[in-house]
Amino acid sequence: MKIKFKITRCDPFSLEKCEPYWQAYSVDVEEGMTVLEALLKISEEDDPTLSFRRSCRSAICGSCAVTVNGFPKLACSTQILPLYKKEGEMTVGPISNHRVIKDLIVDFTPFWDKMAKVLPYLTPTHEPDKGWVIKKEDANIIDRAQKCIMCGCCNAACSSLEIDPNFIAPAACAKAWRFVGDVREGNRKKRLERLSEEHGIWDCVRCVNCTQYCPKDVSPLEAIERLRSKAILGENITDNPGARHVVSLVDSVKRVGRLDEAAMTFRTLGFLRSLGMIPFGIKMEIHGKMPHPLIFPAIEKIKEVKEIYDVFEKKKKE
Amino acid sequence: MAKLRYAYYPGCASQEITKEANEATRKVAGVLGIELHDMPGANCCGAGLLTDYNHELMLALNARIFSQADEMGMDIMTICSTCLMVMSCANRDLKKDPLLLEKINGVMTGAGVRRYGGTIRVKQFLRVLKEDYGLEKLKKKVTRPLSWLKVAPFYGCHSLRPSEALGFDDPERPRSLEELIRALGAEAVEYGGKTKCCGFQVDLVAPDTAVEMTAKRIVDAKEKGAVCMVTPCPFCHINLDNYQGMAEKKVVRKLNMPVFHLSQLVGLALGMSPEELGLSRHIVSAEKILR
Repeated sequence: MKIKFKITRCDPFSLEKCEPYWQAYSVDVEEGMTVLEALLKISEEDDPTLSFRRSCRSAICGSCAVTVNGFPKLACSTQILPLYKKEGEMTVGPISNHRVIKDLIVDFTPFWDKMAKVLPYLTPTHEPDKGWVIKKEDANIIDRAQKCIMCGCCNAACSSLEIDPNFIAPAACAKAWRFVGDVREGNRKKRLERLSEEHGIWDCVRCVNCTQYCPKDVSPLEAIERLRSKAILGENITDNPGARHVVSLVDSVKRVGRLDEAAMTFRTLGFLRSLGMIPFGIKMEIHGKMPHPLIFPAIEKIKEVKEIYDVFEKKKKE
Repeated sequence: MAKLRYAYYPGCASQEITKEANEATRKVAGVLGIELHDMPGANCCGAGLLTDYNHELMLALNARIFSQADEMGMDIMTICSTCLMVMSCANRDLKKDPLLLEKINGVMTGAGVRRYGGTIRVKQFLRVLKEDYGLEKLKKKVTRPLSWLKVAPFYGCHSLRPSEALGFDDPERPRSLEELIRALGAEAVEYGGKTKCCGFQVDLVAPDTAVEMTAKRIVDAKEKGAVCMVTPCPFCHINLDNYQGMAEKKVVRKLNMPVFHLSQLVGLALGMSPEELGLSRHIVSAEKILR
């Protein structure tokens, strides 16, 4: 079956081609053929100037992440026909949130810089006499994060990174969890303190794109959630807006069974920053949208909720 | 067709800040003959934030909600995408792992809560209208087709992702909102931002990021010709409507984009008045685009 591939081309060093443009190629596609095989076919038979990264062809090396029909995918593990039949088109471009070097090749320097920031290696402070014996459940907790092949699909799909280039972004968070969650790690608190700073774990908007588009089921969002939980419950790092926001929700649900948004805002922002919200609050009040914390009734059977909390608080003390 | 009955879980936002979404949903459901049964004892699902504190506590509190629906013998219907996402993920985890379900049930029985059987389903109003009620049937109920309205559908994140837990619509080429808009006689505007994030979760934590995200979505819809937006999620509504003034400052231009809750747009097509649907509670007035 002949399929038209529309591929984004761009050569920043050429006067004529420095702006991205679409180029169409007709490819004879067979059942089971992948996007990478089509790209190879184009470059071998049609246009040797088409540039893209690839290596293993089996979703292990992480080199060939591209945007296929608008979303980040590994070219080598994306079959053409099912997608084409569903969506009626086949477009390939460089991954988003990264600067283009040429055609489908992007600059990974910021990606590696973020990785370096989280110190992607174990830093144990001691070693038991008989060496480490790792329990299965302790290994399981970081198992998903270990599957990362650093292809960049998650960062390409990340909503926060699109706005804030300094955001630590999901790939480095998954890597950070791989070491923070390791029972042998000796600098957990220091790591989590750094991760809790501005542009760190609390800047994630929970859009779920990273988990949705990870081709290896790493679920970077789960890693971010675990890092946050470890920071609050494990290391008591709560002096930042993100952690305060969570703790205020936890308290609100325990107290009345639901979100007390006004109280949460006040506790997250602190007194001074809350003052800055007064004009906004007045606007909300005019439209009847201001929640009134003083007349906030609890849900029925709130005692059950409190007792569930008690079970976990007892566990924590143990 | 058997009568449609649901354990109704509006979510925290729609009991306070976006009350109008709750009220409009009740009115629309009444006209369509969909029974909504209140859950006065239901707690907050955790809005995603509870997981950041303690994942198992979040599971137990969600199981408590499910057990109430279980007791009522009904599936849950929510009008919040974040509640939908949180509850769907919790329900997925509890259903696929009997040991985990047993553990959480142990916590619940210790607190005097009925055990959860692991059987109920969680649906959003959008899904109920499309799959259970049927858009053809809805079309027949339309008394005032919104033929003059160019509407930008805004799915946001949690009505689509993670798709394996939600099991509804296509996360990359969703159609349900567009089909609903067309069933109401209006035109659905196509634009890139419809499945992207509104920024709500970091409104208080990284406000610059949040406001810029909100602005991008509205500008995108506006540039593709939309005169209003519609969203199935109250949190998206808070950002798109309440924070639109801040978004305007960010992009230094007037946006003036009215944003409807899903139930309000349906209500308008069913002939209800803007007053009945609580449109006066919105920060950006929809008066100019209504006939």
